[in-house]
Amino acid sequence: MATFVLIAFRNVFRNTRRTALTLLVISFGAAALILSGGFFAYNFDGLRETTIRNGLGHLQIATEQYLSKGEERPLEHGLDHHAELQAWLESREHVRATTAQIDFVGLISNGEKSEAFLGSGVDPEREPQMGFTLNLKEGEPLAADDEALLGIGLAKSLKAQPGDVLTLMGTTRDGALNAVDVRVAGLYATGIKEFDARAIKVSLPAAQRLLDTDRVTKVIVKLDATRNTEEVRNAIVAAGLGPRGASLRVRSWRELATFYQQVVLLYDAIFLFLGIIIFILVVLSSSNTMMMSVFERVREIGTLMAFGTRRRHVLAIFVLEGAVLGVLGGLCGLAVSYVLIQAINNAGLTMPPPPSFTTGFPLLVKLVPGLLAAVFVLIVVVLTGSAVLPAWRGARLRIVDALGHV
Amino acid sequence: MDTVIALRQVEREYRMGRTTMVALRGVSVEFRGGEFTAIAGPSGSGKTTLLNLIGCIDKPDRGRVIVKGQDVTDIPLHRLAGLRNRYFGFVFQSFNLIPVLSAYENVEFPVLLGGVSSAERKARVEGLLERVGLKDHRRHRPHELSGGQRQRVAIARALVAQPLAVLADEPTANLDSRTGAEILDLMHELNESAGVTFLFSTHDEQIVRRARRVLAMHDGQIREDATNCTAVPMPGRAAGAERIERTA
Repeated sequence: MATFVLIAFRNVFRNTRRTALTLLVISFGAAALILSGGFFAYNFDGLRETTIRNGLGHLQIATEQYLSKGEERPLEHGLDHHAELQAWLESREHVRATTAQIDFVGLISNGEKSEAFLGSGVDPEREPQMGFTLNLKEGEPLAADDEALLGIGLAKSLKAQPGDVLTLMGTTRDGALNAVDVRVAGLYATGIKEFDARAIKVSLPAAQRLLDTDRVTKVIVKLDATRNTEEVRNAIVAAGLGPRGASLRVRSWRELATFYQQVVLLYDAIFLFLGIIIFILVVLSSSNTMMMSVFERVREIGTLMAFGTRRRHVLAIFVLEGAVLGVLGGLCGLAVSYVLIQAINNAGLTMPPPPSFTTGFPLLVKLVPGLLAAVFVLIVVVLTGSAVLPAWRGARLRIVDALGHV
Repeated sequence: MDTVIALRQVEREYRMGRTTMVALRGVSVEFRGGEFTAIAGPSGSGKTTLLNLIGCIDKPDRGRVIVKGQDVTDIPLHRLAGLRNRYFGFVFQSFNLIPVLSAYENVEFPVLLGGVSSAERKARVEGLLERVGLKDHRRHRPHELSGGQRQRVAIARALVAQPLAVLADEPTANLDSRTGAEILDLMHELNESAGVTFLFSTHDEQIVRRARRVLAMHDGQIREDATNCTAVPMPGRAAGAERIERTA
């Protein structure tokens, strides 16, 4: 068998120009897969962590009724005793921080003009511990209970500046109208234009005062690492979600990040499409190489069989040749990919803002070991597989026909 | 010497489109060990077909092929790989060496297939390379050798498995006359000294003269079978006729 491997290996280098061309096609096919996969992986990671840092957190806990029935009045199914729940959660392994949040809607007015808003009642002290990023464009972060941060679009619409006093109007838990005055501490951007035109942030006490409740909508949990999400989720569910957890439900960022899921689906479809095209190119190129290789060596096949080489060994020689070509092509592909990834990552390129986003993002490609291994294995399997038909044809030749081949 | 190969009423036809070409017509012949036999005749007379049937790389349409007492006629060719490896060595007009193997590796190849031990292989291959005068060329690839050297490697390869017979199809046709004569000398010497059976096809009168037995073929038949003979070219050779003069 060693001789057949030797013959296969040496035959790969017999026609160096053709082999080089085939390796070039394979290498760039592999590099295209690795680069696009690495780019997508970087985007997935970036989008995931951005989504989590933008206020989603790793886990969110709310009441079962809030999640299943929704609310006719603000915080009708809100969470009581959130401080107790937060303390319990923070005692769990992998939990780094928690914060409570109120989601509410209402009207904001400068005295001349009113706009509908989407409000968040947040704990300003815990927000930095949660790692939540705030893209402050003007002014200062929240510091006092009577302050508010406005989305830049909303501020523009209301012609509001830091220091201005605005009125928030909302409905209390009992259905009564209520209003509180807030001073604009700063203006911030979320990156999504439509949201910037409606977003405000106030402190938790300010929101509770407006809604006349001590409840919160949810408790958000930050973990030490995103990869521990499911483990912690399972652990806290198994532990009954704390002392008053019977009516609570926990959701992970994966369930909540619908935009992230859509992007992943879209990119996966693009990657599959790209993969199919590259697969076809590599199969055609390698099949052609192997077919030429068999055709050129018909007389050699006849000689091998005349001396007693069995058909399965002739088949093995050509299949091994495909495998050797696949291993070389895969290794070249990995090397080309590595060089290109380093070049791209060091070039400082920036992608334009995606649709409905206001800022671009750096063009970086992630080196994904699993992807490298998968592409390498795929290339070897494809090259080996594409050698089977030509090899089978070679092995089926009649010896006299093969020896008489010119 | 005992009969080692026998063909009985062998016929072989080839289809070329709608035309059927008869390559062998009822050929019966026997070969004994140690023969140095030329199969002579013009192109298309059936020499190569006869060698192919003897070497079990082709099948007759009718008749029987018997190798060392075993009737191999009905055994499928792909099942005869082991028998070919054990009983026959082949020398081809175009040498047919494996281009990616060195002279040593080419010679070694048949015994690798035959499962001969490593030490025995080494002894045989080195001995044969020395015998054909290519000991110093053992690492050379075929493209680094001259035509005569390549054919010497091919002869060593044909002999390495210690076959029943070496079948050589026009072994000197691609060589100049001097190199061709040297190859024939080598074959003759191996036959004389080691008793190797050589069956070779040729249409070269000079080579035919060196054979101890000559089968003169024409139109798929053996027209004459002469032992201890010399061949004298006839004016009608171009039409495929040769006269064999029996001297003993």
